[in-house]
Order: sequence, then C-alpha cells, then structure tokens
Amino acid sequence: MPKLGTSIRITSALAAVALIAIAAAGAANAKPARQATTINGAGSSLVAPALAIWGPAYAKATGVQVNYSSVGSGAGIAAITAKTVDFGASDAPLNPDQASACGDCVQIPWALSATVPTYNIPGLHSGQLKLDGPTLAKIFLGQITKWNDPAIAALNKGTSLPDLAITTAHRSDGSGDTYAFTDYLSHVSSEWASKVGNATAVNWPVGVGGKGNSGVAGVIASTPGSIGYISVAYVKQNKLDWTRMKNAAGNYVLASAPDIESAAQTVTSVPADNKMSIVDPPKSAKFKNAWPLSTFTYIIVHTSTPQAQELRKFVFWALTPKSQHLINNSFLVFAPIPKVVLVAAEKTLNKVHS
Amino acid sequence: MASVDVTQPARRPFSGRRVHLGDVLLQGVAGLAAAGASALVLLIAWKVVDGARPSISKYGISFVWHVVWNPVVGREAYGAGSFLFGTVITSFFALLLATPLAIGIALFLSELAPNWIKAPVTALVEMLAAVPSVVIGLWGILVLGPALRSHIETWLHSGLGWIPLFGAPSAAGASLFTAIVVLAIMILPIVSSISRELFLGVPHELKEGALALGTTRWEMVRGVVFPYARGGIAAALILGLGRAMGEAIAVTQVIGGGVFIHWSLFSQGDTLASKIAAEYQGATSNLDIASLIYLGVILLALSLLANLTAQWIVRSVARQHGVTRGGHA
Repeated sequence: MPKLGTSIRITSALAAVALIAIAAAGAANAKPARQATTINGAGSSLVAPALAIWGPAYAKATGVQVNYSSVGSGAGIAAITAKTVDFGASDAPLNPDQASACGDCVQIPWALSATVPTYNIPGLHSGQLKLDGPTLAKIFLGQITKWNDPAIAALNKGTSLPDLAITTAHRSDGSGDTYAFTDYLSHVSSEWASKVGNATAVNWPVGVGGKGNSGVAGVIASTPGSIGYISVAYVKQNKLDWTRMKNAAGNYVLASAPDIESAAQTVTSVPADNKMSIVDPPKSAKFKNAWPLSTFTYIIVHTSTPQAQELRKFVFWALTPKSQHLINNSFLVFAPIPKVVLVAAEKTLNKVHS
Repeated sequence: MASVDVTQPARRPFSGRRVHLGDVLLQGVAGLAAAGASALVLLIAWKVVDGARPSISKYGISFVWHVVWNPVVGREAYGAGSFLFGTVITSFFALLLATPLAIGIALFLSELAPNWIKAPVTALVEMLAAVPSVVIGLWGILVLGPALRSHIETWLHSGLGWIPLFGAPSAAGASLFTAIVVLAIMILPIVSSISRELFLGVPHELKEGALALGTTRWEMVRGVVFPYARGGIAAALILGLGRAMGEAIAVTQVIGGGVFIHWSLFSQGDTLASKIAAEYQGATSNLDIASLIYLGVILLALSLLANLTAQWIVRSVARQHGVTRGGHA
C-alpha cells in the first residue's frame, strides 16, 4: 500500500515538527540556570566581536563564564525585557516604548564603534571613493542614480567614475547600524529627516534589503555599482572596500580607531539616561579627523537583578582601559570610550543591586 | 493537514467484534493525540489573534489591503497589501514552475526509469527536501540570484519584455523571481515524492490492461495514471502551495524587500512570512509587534483556505472515483 506509506510518512513528519516546536517553545521559555559563575547576554551583532574577545579574557581572569548570543539589538532588548538573559546589548538607545516595557532597565555605554559605507565599484579600491553626507543622503533617497553623477564627480576629482547605475543596500532586519546610519543621514539632510527619519528599521525609499551584516555584504559583493553600510569590525575583518567620508570639518576620513575616538570627544556631558548621539561631529579643529558615523553601543541591565554583583564586576572590568584596549586593534575597531562617558557609565552601574 | 489518500478507507474494521482492552486503549491514545493537535491549532490561532489585537483595533480590516509599512516611531503606519501581493505572486508562480517538473520527475521515477536509476534518484530528490532553508537562501543570494539576473532575467526581458511580468532585470539579483525559483526548488521534492507514490499506487491491472489494448505509454499515462491520481496530485500541489506561502527564511534572504506593488517579477518585494522573519526580532514598538502578528493572522487564514480547498478537492475527486472504479470492477 504505497498510499498508506505516504500518509505514514506525512504523519511522522508532522509529529516530528510538533515535537521540535514543543522543544523550541520549551527552550524559549526556559530561564538560564542561575549559576553564580555564568553571565548570559544577547543582542547587538556590532558588539559581538568585542564580546568574543572579552568573554575568554574575563573567564581567564576571574573564572566567570560570559555567554553571548549575537541576535540583533532589537532581539537583545526583547530578551532582557523578558528577563531570559542577564544583560541585553543594543547599539540604539531604548525608545520610550521599550524603556517602559523593560521596567527598571538602565542602559550603560560600554563600547564605541561605527558603521561604514561599503561599496562595489569595479576598478575603485578601498578608500578611493569619497563622499559627503548630503550626497550619501541623496543616493539613499534615490535622487542620485549613477556613479558618474556630477555631485559625486565633484567630490572625486581625478578619479574616473563609471557610467554605472547605483544600487543601495540596507539591513532588512532591525539593527543598530541602521540606527546610526539613519541618525547621520537625518543630521545632514533635512529631506531625509522629514521623509524617512531615524530608527533601527525604516521605510527605505529605494534599495535592496539584506539580512544581517552578512546579508548586506552578500548583496554588495554580487552587485557591481552597489553601496551599503556595514559594521566597521565586519568591514575590516572581511577586507571590504569602504568610502572616505567628508566630516563637518571638511576632511575626508577613513574610520580608523582614532577617527572614531575623536568623534566621541563631542560628548561633554552625559544625560541621566546615557542616551548620546555622536554622528556628524560639529565643525571644529578638535574634531578634524572625526568619523561622522560613529556610535556608542550599550549594555542593558535591570537595576534590580539577582546577578547584580557578577554583572557589576564584569562591566567594571569591561570599562577598564586594559579591557577597552583589548578590543582596539587592527581588526576589531572599537575605540576607547572617553573619560566623561566612563564616569557616567560607572555611576549608572553603581545603581545596579540585587 | 490535507490527506493525500484517495482510496476509500475501510469502514469500521472492528465493528461487530466484542470490546477489547487493546481497542479501547488504541481508541483513547489516538483520540487524545487528535484532540491535542486540534487544541494546539486552536490555541495558536487564538494566541495569534490576541497578539494582533492592538493593530486589529487600530486599522481594522483595511489593514489587509493598505500598501504601507513604516516602523519609525512617531510616523508609524502599517498595512499588509504589498506583502499579501508578494505572497500570492511568489507562491502561485513557484507552483506553476514546480508542477510540471515535479510530475515529470514522479512519472520518470515510477513508470519510465530503469530500475537501477530509480533508487538513487529517488533518494537524491527526497534529499533536496532535507536541505535547510537557510542554506538554500544563502545559495540563492550568492549564486542563484546573480546567475538569474545576468542570464535568465535579461533573456526573458529582451524576448518577452512587452509582458509587464518581465520588466527590467533586477539590479542585485534579489527579486520576486529569485524567490519564486527558490520556492519552486523547495516544493519540488514534496510534490514529486507524493506524486510518485500516487503513480505507483495505480493498480497494475489497469496499466497493463491499457497497454494490452494497444495504447502507447503516453496514452496509458494520460488515460489511466493521471485520472487515477488526479485528486492526490491536486492535494500534493496544495501542500506545496502551503509550504511556499509559509516559507520565511530563504525568501527573506533573496527577495530584497520593499513596500510597493510592481507587476514585474524582477522587482523586489516581501511576503507575509519574510516580513515577519526579517522584522519580528528587531521590532521596537508595541504597534509594530502587533502589526507583524496581524500579518501572521492573514498568513494563517491563507493557509487554512489552502488546506480546506485541498480537502474539498480530494473529497470531490474521491467521490467521483468511487463511481468510476465501481464501473471498472
């Protein structure tokens, strides 16, 4: 009876699916084991390379295990809200909805990084393409559609630009990179601010969506004439081609660690909720090398948590100059966070109690 | 789920026997399993509708056809129109592409292929169903998409560009068309393996009788195998359609995204499932989450519709069969 065989196969497949679904649901609901020697976190993919370094180093120094899942900023916020992890990590500060849902959550800046416009133009190597904010905004608004457009040519005198259509690429999932990128475009283009705005996911006027840094990198790699934005660590680890950006001081910079650090010097005082935007630093000799698409990335914890002592120790450790230096080398381009932010971060951290 | 069994089940095999403990146990366990599955479906449906409530009460039924999706806090606006369009277009064309291939494969493996080919090819085709969708999606964006864009899309556009479906080739290889091909590949093994079993289930007497009457092999297939398996094939196709409508990850990776309705298959888009997969984890506001779940409600209703259609087709064809088979016997 072959037909019987089919229905048995379908039935057993269904049973397997049901079992998997139940197992998955169970796993999602299960709270992490509250062992004193483990800290569990989830969130931002931008900060994931830093935690990949910090985790083993901290385990070696203290014996405490730090587990981190790189699930995206939005999912990290959801996880800490539901208390399925001990900390969340996000590149975008909590919005009012999220903050009220999370209850007694605080956000603490603990690393400094950037997002970088990355391109695929045949014949143009890394750093050979120069752009400024308004031009980048027009490209992503779909108003500049060719690489040899006069607006781009004016910024790239002496470089021969191809007569090639521009394809923009962006993240299709909610992401801190999108937050920093649209924050910058909203600063440099009033049209962007009024038409699109600034969030972890926006309604893109044009362009192709890719899932995660790797999805955007995939679109760019397979599409001549494309431009997108990707976390700086990912760009440098994978040796992608990226642009020089003109900052407010009029210099073309390349997103090196000192350039990012310089952008963070714009912070002179930290608000109570630690929410800071450091894109597009103002025109000043002090910020002459500032990378205009820099961003703080935050750890989010509940003020009252049974893991308070372990969390405080770990974050204090992460904020020490030595730990900040660990993630600031040629591949992991995180810049040390400035003094004034450090003080604010430690002050917030001291509020965390069990 | 739709049953693909076209034979009439034997009725009440135990009737007239005396009550037996084993029978009672069997009845109880099987009944409990069935009740559990039904309860699970109802629970899921209730949970989904409940989660979507903020969006349902804000937008009502017009959410279903409005073409807008803006998650930026302060200017939020949501509607399912473009995603519903994407789901219908991609799954319909995927089915259109996969059906002849799947039935061809099934015919080859059940009627035409020499024995030494049957076993390995059957195993390979079924293995296709085991490839994780995220792997198919990655292959789709890195290999298939660019290949389709530079060869198939340009070729179709230059030849058939006057048909609105074949507009300008996509820039990045991420398009509805790439999603259609990926989905067709994913439903191919489902439809072909069910069809193969159906073809194998056609009684030998019928096939040999037809051949003995002097029909060619094609006439035998057309006159005996297809009519016999018709209802089952229809149900298999609906199963494939359900798979295509619900697939999320692979589609998210290759479809490109975008909130608009373009008739060209080479433009980007999103489906209900791909939008949920892309945005749910990063959703930032309560209305955003509720609206994504509302997309899930629509998807659930679509799948339900597909399954009911499948059951209706199977039942009506089976009834027809009962009559014709009575005539044969």
